[in-house]
Amino acid sequence: MNSLLAQLLLVRKRKAYWTLLGFWIVLPMLFSYLLPYFAFTSDSNFRPRGLDKVLLTELLPQNFVNNILASFPFFGGTIALIIGVLFVGSEYSWGTLTYAFTQKASRLKVFGGKMAALGIVLIPFVVLVFMFAFLASLLIAMREGQAVELPPLLLTMKALGACWLIMAAWSSVGVMIAVLSRGTALAIGLGIIYALVIENFITVFGRQIEALSTLSQFLVRTSGYSLIYSLGATVQSAAGPGSFFGEYLSVARSCAMLGGFVAVALAISAAVIRWRDVVGNS
Amino acid sequence: MTKRYRPDVMAVNGLNMKVQRGEVYGFVGPNGAGKTTTLRILVGLVRPTSGSCEILGGKPGSSDTLSRVGALIETPAFYPYLSGRDNLRVLSRLAGIDYSRIEPVLEEVELTGRADDRFKTYSLGMKQRLGIAAAMLKDPELLILDEPTNGLDPAGMVEMRQLIRQLGQGDRTVLISSHLMGELEQICDRIGIVKDGRLIKEGTLEELRHGARLRIKARPIDRARVLIGGLGGVGQINTIEDDILLVEVDLARAAEINRLLVGEGIEVSELCMAQDSLESAFLSLTEESDPVE
Repeated sequence: MNSLLAQLLLVRKRKAYWTLLGFWIVLPMLFSYLLPYFAFTSDSNFRPRGLDKVLLTELLPQNFVNNILASFPFFGGTIALIIGVLFVGSEYSWGTLTYAFTQKASRLKVFGGKMAALGIVLIPFVVLVFMFAFLASLLIAMREGQAVELPPLLLTMKALGACWLIMAAWSSVGVMIAVLSRGTALAIGLGIIYALVIENFITVFGRQIEALSTLSQFLVRTSGYSLIYSLGATVQSAAGPGSFFGEYLSVARSCAMLGGFVAVALAISAAVIRWRDVVGNS
Repeated sequence: MTKRYRPDVMAVNGLNMKVQRGEVYGFVGPNGAGKTTTLRILVGLVRPTSGSCEILGGKPGSSDTLSRVGALIETPAFYPYLSGRDNLRVLSRLAGIDYSRIEPVLEEVELTGRADDRFKTYSLGMKQRLGIAAAMLKDPELLILDEPTNGLDPAGMVEMRQLIRQLGQGDRTVLISSHLMGELEQICDRIGIVKDGRLIKEGTLEELRHGARLRIKARPIDRARVLIGGLGGVGQINTIEDDILLVEVDLARAAEINRLLVGEGIEVSELCMAQDSLESAFLSLTEESDPVE
């Protein structure tokens, strides 16, 4: 408990997390609400007939959960990965592990407290985005004179849990890379390359190469997209670093895979932290 | 104890040392001698490749041991975006101790006035003092300080020495490492000299200085040397410069020697105790490297 309280104090006072939170809230508001709404209100000659109605429907409160879900496996995952790296990598960069590990709490308790704090920190990253998405959809409904209907509560709760799990999986990957690379800069670089490039290409070539198709079922992105798809999210299949082309997994398998990523990444990190010498600034 | 980082890097090489409870023990050696690795082993940050050590009767790095040890290892490393006070709050949480200890240690290191400033704005001296405050937070039985005066200006070094001397009073044991011999000379009860990961000499300041010698300035020097050499119980006599002798002898016999020389018509213009500084003792010791048995 003391380790957790220590970590929460560190989180509360570190502006980087809150800057990331602000940035993360702006991203889906921009791409899931503001730009689509501008598209809806702009010259309709650019769009196929009937798309106006579809566009507006997606932006209304009854669809805010489905609309915002698509932001999590990609944007949210990348942000979560960076948070995970910052949580542990900074300790190596600043050399603060020397102090953290020479107080009283064991290394595993310190790490456990850190991971519990990370789990707590991810909650506002999920809940606030949902809240802002709802507010944005509410404003659009009021502006367009549409009826305000809420999505089912159970769906909303499931979606919140799914998004937290997706972010937890990505942040755990970030923690593991930071522990293995003993720092922040390299870990963020490697993490982003993995998330944006490696998983993307495996997914893309998975459509042409059978071995990669099988491998693509074991990617974080596949599990994330499968989970939000099962909740009714529209998954874009356009090309780009955040695209997804693979086959969807079942809900149970998606959850198991994401939980597995968290468990394996944190187990590897804990084992390394437990056994590796703390030398110099690492 | 031995610590090998890679097959070709032996940081600690069969080091064997014992620090007595309540003493201020200086751990001195050139850069890269293995001091910091040894201290890291003592607080459980590094595991020895072979051998073992016991600290306050317990295992290094265990919760029980760590709760009784305060350590400043290498440069003070704190969260740069937190104030000094908040950094101590984080450590208090991790150590499971009450926040009420924070103010006394801040006062002890005279950092209260800047305690709410961010760590990254601190001067090196202030960072070192915060490091000492962090080490003192647990009111430890054993205080381990690794090069606490590193990077300080002369005034800062004097202040730090006074602080360490103060912290070492009473029953507390202090283990302090440095590559500056003069620094430890003024603080420590006993000193261990380490080189290439091995303890090559250990003892009190007196023992390390090779014992006291008389420095005698006399004319004619050759006649004086013969007369002193004729006395019983006199050890080695060395002539330095043209008219100065260094004589290994019990210092209590200074008056006797003076009477002898003056009585024989020898002009004695200086007679005093000559001591090698710890610095020169260290330099001569580290040229050799036979470990302590």
